[in-house]
Amino acid sequence: MRVGPEPVLAELIAFQQADAAFPSGSFAFSNGIEGLAAQDSGFGEVELAKAVAAALDFRWAGTDRVALVLAHRAGADALPRLAAVDAALEAASLAEPMRIGSRRNGASLLAAHARLGTAGAAQMRAAVRAGSMHGHLATVQGALWRGLGLSEEKAGSIAGYGFAAGLTSAAVRLGLVGAIEAQRVLSGALPRIARILERPVEEHDDIVLTGFTPLIEIAAMRQAQAELRLFAN
Amino acid sequence: MSSLTDRTSGEVLETVGRRAEARLVFARGGGATVLTRQHVPYPFHVTRVFRLHPEAPDLASLYLQSASGGLYRSDHLTLAIEARPGARAFVTTQAGTVVHRGGPLPTRQDTRVRVSTDAFLAYTPDPLILFPGAHLSIATEMEVEPGARAILTESVACHDPAGSGLPFEHLTMSLRLTDPSGRTLVRERSAIDGPAFTAADSPLGTHRAYGTMILIGPADLLPAPRTLQAEGDAAGCLAGASPLPNGAGLGLRILAPDGGRLSTGLDALARLAFQALGGCAPARRRK
Repeated sequence: MRVGPEPVLAELIAFQQADAAFPSGSFAFSNGIEGLAAQDSGFGEVELAKAVAAALDFRWAGTDRVALVLAHRAGADALPRLAAVDAALEAASLAEPMRIGSRRNGASLLAAHARLGTAGAAQMRAAVRAGSMHGHLATVQGALWRGLGLSEEKAGSIAGYGFAAGLTSAAVRLGLVGAIEAQRVLSGALPRIARILERPVEEHDDIVLTGFTPLIEIAAMRQAQAELRLFAN
Repeated sequence: MSSLTDRTSGEVLETVGRRAEARLVFARGGGATVLTRQHVPYPFHVTRVFRLHPEAPDLASLYLQSASGGLYRSDHLTLAIEARPGARAFVTTQAGTVVHRGGPLPTRQDTRVRVSTDAFLAYTPDPLILFPGAHLSIATEMEVEPGARAILTESVACHDPAGSGLPFEHLTMSLRLTDPSGRTLVRERSAIDGPAFTAADSPLGTHRAYGTMILIGPADLLPAPRTLQAEGDAAGCLAGASPLPNGAGLGLRILAPDGGRLSTGLDALARLAFQALGGCAPARRRK
């Protein structure tokens, strides 16, 4: 018996969730790109490609992706488990701008889905408002996309694409690269995302999140004190 | 401490390195901080307690020394430091610690720190210097009671004494900060291979040395992030500071071109934090 939507419909739902026009709130976050550019007046396509590679390999792969998969496996009804995944994400995010950015982006995505009536969105939103969950982006993505019937693999693909595309589109909006250069960087990142998605996510007694992006974190920390900023982080 | 070779069916599996656990307990007594417990097996070695701060005579300073020239293949060394209520202690190292070429099993250095109410502990070891082939796992557990003040650093740099630029093998780091109830406030884990550490798309950028500093104390005493960053910059490092998760304190990341500049930057930042949280400048015995 098939669980979830028909394959073609699942593809279409995935396109909708990955679409930049979906009101996910991600347009407000550069996740460190604005800070990196502020430190490096020569920041361009090469530097963007390096930053995207480092962020994917050393942040998204072991932290956000793992949290997303665990949240997807839990589902929106398992609020205590989602809260535990969320707490692990919170504790693993030493840099405040990245931590708050993840929470605010999660809240925006949750608000959009609550208004759309996505399964589980309203109760998760209530849990965040009650303070029993932080509502980090990866936790919210995993639980909501399962509610839409998307597979764990599909949810991972959308999130990985969205993470990388968010970085490249931020660079375009900052005027660091042109649209074609950004797409070239994104194209280069796709095989990396695919390789990361092949890595299994194992369940442990403890929630194990791994990351190491000191340069991006420093850039975001310093940018948070800038008087003029285009992005929230 | 032990050193032996496991053999099963005549096959050498892996040389087991040294196993040692040192324990230092600082407590307040007679208006001063005294080392009430000191278990320091080989290869650990410590100096006597120094009173280096005339303006703060209750502050105890202690230097950790290595009796063996660094960390070797498959060593597993543990250091536990406790500052009991009201104690004030400054623990640092005499120099950086070299981590030599490892094997399939990591060389492990575990640190457990406990800081009680109204105690102050600064634990600021110099960087671990990863030689080519080093395979290191460091784990730091820190428990802080309400009203505690603390400065903790962990830092690494890579260096090839032959000048060939060969990288270390693998590095894992974990840091956990809890309150007395066991609630996790900060829990981060990192893992990176040596070649990725120095690659063009390294998460350190062009830097080759990395440190983290944790500052615990009343919010109104903690230095401003901007002030800390400027201090790091002045020392030739790139530093960023921000509040830690769960209101735990302040967290800093520090990057530097090499271990020497990282050490200078960490010293400058620790000095600033020491003045803010310890109430005086850290006097340094000549290293």
